[in-house]
Amino acid sequence: MPSDRLVERRRVFQQYKEDVKDRGKPFYPYAMFHDTVMSLVVVTVILGLAIIWKYTTPGNHHTTAAGWLGKLYDKPADPGTINFVPRPDWYFYFLFYLLRIFKWPHSVILGTIGIPTIALVLLLAIPFLDVRAERRLLRRPVAIVASILVVLSMGVLTYKGATAKEALGTELLAKVPSWAKKQGFSNNPTAIAGARLFAESGCLNCHTYLGTGGHNLGAPNLSAEGAKNKGIAFQISHLKCPACVNSGSPMPSFAGLGQANLTKLATFLEASKGGK
Amino acid sequence: MATRRLTRSQQLQQTILYPLDWLEERSGLVGGVKYFLFRKVPGDINWFQTLGSAALTAFLVQALTGVILAMYYKPDPTIDPVTHLPVAYQSVTHITNDVFAGWLVRGMHRWGASVFIILMFLHMGRVFLFGAYKYPRELNWIIGVLILASGLGEGFTGYLLPWDQTAYWATVVGININGTAPFLGPFLAQFLQGGTYINADTLPRFYSIHMLLIPGALFALIGLHLYLVVRLGVTSPPWSKEAAGTGPLEPPSQNGRSGLVSPRARRRGR
Repeated sequence: MPSDRLVERRRVFQQYKEDVKDRGKPFYPYAMFHDTVMSLVVVTVILGLAIIWKYTTPGNHHTTAAGWLGKLYDKPADPGTINFVPRPDWYFYFLFYLLRIFKWPHSVILGTIGIPTIALVLLLAIPFLDVRAERRLLRRPVAIVASILVVLSMGVLTYKGATAKEALGTELLAKVPSWAKKQGFSNNPTAIAGARLFAESGCLNCHTYLGTGGHNLGAPNLSAEGAKNKGIAFQISHLKCPACVNSGSPMPSFAGLGQANLTKLATFLEASKGGK
Repeated sequence: MATRRLTRSQQLQQTILYPLDWLEERSGLVGGVKYFLFRKVPGDINWFQTLGSAALTAFLVQALTGVILAMYYKPDPTIDPVTHLPVAYQSVTHITNDVFAGWLVRGMHRWGASVFIILMFLHMGRVFLFGAYKYPRELNWIIGVLILASGLGEGFTGYLLPWDQTAYWATVVGININGTAPFLGPFLAQFLQGGTYINADTLPRFYSIHMLLIPGALFALIGLHLYLVVRLGVTSPPWSKEAAGTGPLEPPSQNGRSGLVSPRARRRGR
């Protein structure tokens, strides 16, 4: 025997079907008119965005300079360069920014996989979590609160992701002497060369060091990396293949820098004992 | 017996209807289209309920502009010996700067993606707030979530294709993040890259996923989604006075909002 609830909702759906049959309007032309107007608006907006993208690009619209809606294209991909900013398309900013909130190594998995997976499972489960027949919003307080929270958090995360600043290599280079002084490696030329590489190679687009840097993607603060005394050999093998040493690390390989440069970087990291 | 002479207008009508009748007799398609067009929808549906078809329009714009872009785009990361630029990158600048209206088609595809994703989220929000995912439409909600996930997958795989710095490094990190997932992560990362690292096979692989695998899945899912919309009917807004808008287990309220206002429907046993 079906339960009372099942009988009741079947009855309500049956009644809905009869109501619509008796007093509904045909899809064509009534609903179709609204749909057509809306579709025209959508196509117009897309056309408008394409035109604005092209015609606000400075110069003859052939450059890699950014217009109102960003660059037409960036410089060609070069796996050899390392001074890059890993930045996804705007609709992934909320995920991108989650990785700033959760810190490497303990909770970063929550940001990369945990929360997105939970969100997806919850989304799929909504019709089974909320089995009441009530559809009027004012009588669904949990739904109201949940939707406000979701919209707020997605909005804030997207905004934060959009306004997150990346440090520029040239500005960071000027900080090398002060780093050397604070960390006490001023008389170690290899460490200073490593610090310059560190500033130029985009490390601070994700990592932080003595208060500067991006803190992206859950990358840890490296100010006191040397205090762990892992050794230069470890640092070099980590830079060559981060995921091999630290399983689950999203950091890309820096093997392209070459052994000599990696030694400098590793010396710098080992000389970073936390500063004064 | 002589056949009755047809008037000119009857002749015309027969000529027009003949191919339709031919098609209908062999496929039933004409009846299907008629059913689709003249099916009843609740009289009080409103503008919020056009968001789904708006998202469909954005998807069709993506499909059309994508087909045109595929005529010019080359998913090849090797360096052209003459220009010293990657072939893929060069084909994108060629589309943007040289091909007639190429900038417009590429711009529509690039921004259409954003519009499609916004509209999918808005449509999902509307369905949630209207409670339209409830019995018997649970399955259509699930299909909708799969469409949203596939749409985001299109965004992720499409982002690499211009093969510029932004695209390349965002994807390197994106794949590394996929690789951190427990159990399936490393396999997913390897599948996406076509190897342990990003290599010459990665770009064609992303291209194939972006324009064959996921779009195929999207067409099938959208087809199912629309089939269920037509089969189960469009929900009326939750504030509707029709039966479909009210909760059956609530006690009937005295202000008339939860009951059926039409006396004819009331007689039917509410």
